[in-house]
Amino acid sequence: MMNDRLSETFGALADPTRRAILGRLASGEASVTELAGPFAMSMPAISKHLKVLERAGLIARGREAQWRPCRLQAGPLRDVAAWVEHYRRFWEESFDRLDDYLRELKREDARNKNLKTKVKESKHVRKQRKG
Amino acid sequence: MSANNARVNAGGIRNTKESSEWDLVLTRVFDAPRELVFRAWTETSHVAQWWGPKGFTNPVCEMDLRAGGKLRIHMRAPDGVVYPMTGVFEEIVAPERLVFVSSALDGDGKSMFDVLNTVSFAEQRGRTELTLRARVINATAQAPQYLKGMQAGWTQSLDRLGEHLASVR
Repeated sequence: MMNDRLSETFGALADPTRRAILGRLASGEASVTELAGPFAMSMPAISKHLKVLERAGLIARGREAQWRPCRLQAGPLRDVAAWVEHYRRFWEESFDRLDDYLRELKREDARNKNLKTKVKESKHVRKQRKG
Repeated sequence: MSANNARVNAGGIRNTKESSEWDLVLTRVFDAPRELVFRAWTETSHVAQWWGPKGFTNPVCEMDLRAGGKLRIHMRAPDGVVYPMTGVFEEIVAPERLVFVSSALDGDGKSMFDVLNTVSFAEQRGRTELTLRARVINATAQAPQYLKGMQAGWTQSLDRLGEHLASVR
């Protein structure tokens, strides 16, 4: 099941090197040597990252013995995108309510201030009358 | 499928160093001073008034506002279903920054997903630009279903409201 991998997918995405590798693969397949190019990292270290990505189903590797190009697999990324979209809606809704609530607070605040000024004014008037 | 399509399907958002299509980044400007917006996020009497989608209430809303302190919110959907969540504050810099991990709980009180939320509040001449960054640290297989169910809960309530308004018109 796609969903069972979600945690693994998020785990794989948590690392900046792996994110960068996926970013590179988004513009087309590449060999391990090509992928290792921009990183100051040993080939075994890069291979380790690729294994994590492969296990999470985020990339697939060609079967050609020599070259074995890496390719991006869109399936799990779509699951992640769907999840993020659900979470985004939750917050959008909350922000709408926060917006309304803040307006309400400001209105109340203005009313209270108004009231205070009126009280002050009436005291002032009373003082004047006394005087 | 071409590589370009794969990229669009992954969220279609720009992939930068700080964020990518795999994180949630939301920005909203609120017409209120920063101190007030920060308080609305950190005082439970305020938080309970707006947390969660439209129509939700928060019968439980507790916060121990310090680094390492816990938060606990039970959201009640309009259909009566309660969605409990807990969390831990990681960083509190009033009135600019709030970092907390939130966890949605299943029926047995076990976490279904943990999200690291970073909220920043920027002053904008009496207004406040709020940015929320959310990154999933952990998610179980039920997580997408959970959010989907919750969303169905509030979409239905909006539909009901629409129907109600139509019937009284």
